[in-house]
Amino acid sequence: MEILSYKDFYEEPVKKDAPVSEELTKDCYNVFACRHKFCREWCPDYVEERNESYTSYGVHTSTLALACGNASLPEMKNEFIHCLECGQCELKCPNTMFGGDFYHYATTTVDLVRKMRRDLHAQGIDYDGFDEVQQVIDEHLAHDAGPDEELTSWAAGLDLPLAGETMMFVDYYNAFQTREVPIAAAKILKAAGVEFGILKHPHVTTGELYETDEDKWVEAAKKNVADLKAAGAKTVILVNPHEYSYFIKEYPRYCGTLPFEVVYITDYVNDLIKADKIAFVKPYNKNVTYHDPCSLNKLCGNYQAPREIIAALPGTHADVEKPILQWKYCCGNGVSGAFRKALPDVAYKIGVRRLRHANDVGAEVLLLACPHCKDMFAETKTKSGINIEPVHILEVVAYCMGIEV
Amino acid sequence: MSKIDFSKFHYGNVADHIEELEDIVGKENVMTGMHDRAIRAASCAPFPMQRWEDHIPDVVVLPGDTDEVSEVMKLANKYRLPVVPRGAGCGLADGAFPLNKGICLDMKRMAEILEVDDINRTVTVQPGVNMQELNKVLAKVGMYYPDDPASYGTAVIGGRIGTNGWSVAGAGSGHPANLVCSMEVVLPDGQIVRVGKGGSKKCRNSSAGYRMLELFFGHQGTLGVVTEAVLDCAPKPEVEFPSYFGFSSYDAAYKALFQLGISGIKSVVNYIMFDDEKIDFLRRDDDAFIPLPETVKCVVMATFAGTEGEVLAARKKSLSIMKAAGGHYLGEEQAWGDWATRHDRYHLAVHCRNKAGQVVTMSWHCEDNCMIHSELPEFTHGLHKIVKKYVEKYDGIFDDAGCFIYTGGPYRTWGDYLAEVDVFINELAMTPELWERWLDMKREIAELAVELGGSISICHGACREGDIDVLIDKELADGQFDLMKRIKKMFDPNNIMNPGKYNLHLAY
Repeated sequence: MEILSYKDFYEEPVKKDAPVSEELTKDCYNVFACRHKFCREWCPDYVEERNESYTSYGVHTSTLALACGNASLPEMKNEFIHCLECGQCELKCPNTMFGGDFYHYATTTVDLVRKMRRDLHAQGIDYDGFDEVQQVIDEHLAHDAGPDEELTSWAAGLDLPLAGETMMFVDYYNAFQTREVPIAAAKILKAAGVEFGILKHPHVTTGELYETDEDKWVEAAKKNVADLKAAGAKTVILVNPHEYSYFIKEYPRYCGTLPFEVVYITDYVNDLIKADKIAFVKPYNKNVTYHDPCSLNKLCGNYQAPREIIAALPGTHADVEKPILQWKYCCGNGVSGAFRKALPDVAYKIGVRRLRHANDVGAEVLLLACPHCKDMFAETKTKSGINIEPVHILEVVAYCMGIEV
Repeated sequence: MSKIDFSKFHYGNVADHIEELEDIVGKENVMTGMHDRAIRAASCAPFPMQRWEDHIPDVVVLPGDTDEVSEVMKLANKYRLPVVPRGAGCGLADGAFPLNKGICLDMKRMAEILEVDDINRTVTVQPGVNMQELNKVLAKVGMYYPDDPASYGTAVIGGRIGTNGWSVAGAGSGHPANLVCSMEVVLPDGQIVRVGKGGSKKCRNSSAGYRMLELFFGHQGTLGVVTEAVLDCAPKPEVEFPSYFGFSSYDAAYKALFQLGISGIKSVVNYIMFDDEKIDFLRRDDDAFIPLPETVKCVVMATFAGTEGEVLAARKKSLSIMKAAGGHYLGEEQAWGDWATRHDRYHLAVHCRNKAGQVVTMSWHCEDNCMIHSELPEFTHGLHKIVKKYVEKYDGIFDDAGCFIYTGGPYRTWGDYLAEVDVFINELAMTPELWERWLDMKREIAELAVELGGSISICHGACREGDIDVLIDKELADGQFDLMKRIKKMFDPNNIMNPGKYNLHLAY
């Protein structure tokens, strides 16, 4: 995937009582200049709140207003937290759609939001609800500082080596909160005869840290790359699409070209199915639909493999919306978990809307390819009572292979 | 343009009434942060960035229902607080652009679809509903709301009514003024009234009483706030066929447009002509596209929709007309993909150039004159002459992006047209002096339109600086503006609704 726009000038912090750089002003102007706001009606936060302050147009124009002396930075503390970082607005923006390929200049709202959250935090200006986000960051930093055994305890009994040409990178969210996902992945790969290892001590990759303390996050990124290389990795399989997006979009920015190939688990499993390395032994007789994770579909343009896997599942009846129509959807969690922590009510409404869409196509099961989506939808289902089961696609693959997870 | 003196209206201080506004709509729906207000100062380009602060509303209020709107209006009327209703903020005549700060009444929270009636073929909506989103819901029952502006994916119903918007598909299925059966309006004193084309909400025709509904089309927020509308829906067409024809000269394309217009084809969506300057503009990054033959100087687009039989017949008839007129069919690949994409690039900020051919970031603006068929060549050539004079003199500040000519009237394809010159403007480089030159350009364009028997605006509204002087002095000089002033004063005795817009402060 070609990354159209890395904007080095985002690195210069926006500060109180200091002028906004000319480059950032022009960058924000490019979105303001459009005024068509095709991004707006597809922004999951806007759809629920109907407040354009937080759309791509809103955050770019607010920053432009700041550059022009018509906004105050401390007042903007909650301006950037309403972004799910889902990437819809970047894709829908005419600047990206009709000019990105030709002029190599795209709208990069997610980067802008991360930058502004970081810059505001550096000056002690934090959004309402930041304390809870800081708790998550502290928890994950404590994991990083803790013993190796805890980080790999999810793999107990799986007998996985700590090196190999193929490595599976398991982030802390999966390792501690949704263990069934990496366990399913590992068991599927083993059953298919894949030899692979895991890191003895994966370092922190948490998105909330990235948009709060970039240096610390980058330091961990460099260690992860070095450790994977030292472990002999030629291929690294990711089991969390958020981390997948960091590995393919952010890591090269800080670590240069990675010394290994990065593959998402659904692509890897799909290739195994195509190569007849996976044998399905029982059907999954359900009406299903599929939710594209924002980080996979919108941030990375990766949507084909889950659809092909679903088509290959025995007994399954699927009605799956096109990936482009799913640009509008999000589970409500967001790519950084900060949104859900700070705005739980809005996150819930977004989740309810998505579950209802899934209900509308007559599905009993909403298949997922992201642990965060699974957690968010499970909570939304319980609270709302909407009768649809959120299930990770790997769990279904394992089920059809006759594997207990 | 000299600043309007509002002192005689003795407006109250909005900041003194924030708590009362919070009581009406809820604290979370009242925004006082400078950035929240600043982003609601502008509508489409050009925006006088050098005077941004002058146009920032004092407060943003997001009402949730008609009663809240009514209560806000009562409060505003009582304390003489200016109110500027705002829909999607994508209007091209600055209807939502505050001239005297005040309360920005952002209507986008009122976005419920209240009723879909698939027997009487109507849909009842709140004003914050967007057409694209509406049509996703209507599609489930085979219905379709055919209003299709360039801002289809972002504009909202309230704004379409307040600006008297115009639809690209209007030649086939009518414009918003033809598609609203009735609506609920909150007047400046807070009174809630229903105006319609007939006695009931859903009745489309009646000769009982004055045509009050039309009064609220194009008032640009000066007479009231629409809070509900009943819309006339059409069946979703079975098939659609867009076709593009290349011509070797403006004259040949212009004659072909006339022949198509009088052909009597009923399944038309629209006919559009791209003039030679527009084709040149769109050729700027030609290597990104399927190459257009050099012999093509102008393009005529014809789109048909309806049942398969109707569209097949229309296609056959139009191909024969265009062939006889010297048109070269550009093929299906270009019709469905390439030209649609090229057309969508017309407003890109990075598509502009200075004299040296370098990319300069500018913002898109389009004029929207209405012109009768006989005068189109003189008019469009005149438009380019005017724009190019300024492009030449102010390098990198303005850019001529060519003209589109669209079939103009509702349900017909002859007579008058929307003749649109697209002008790009470098807002970031604006100075007070350059802004004055911009207004000069606008005045010259408006004068030419009126002189040739057209109108300054077919769909945006002519209430921007530059347009307004010519509108009052020439286009509406024969008593129409006087009548507007009398109506305005009767509806809004304290001049609280969008004060200064259309120079209606002159009524007091």
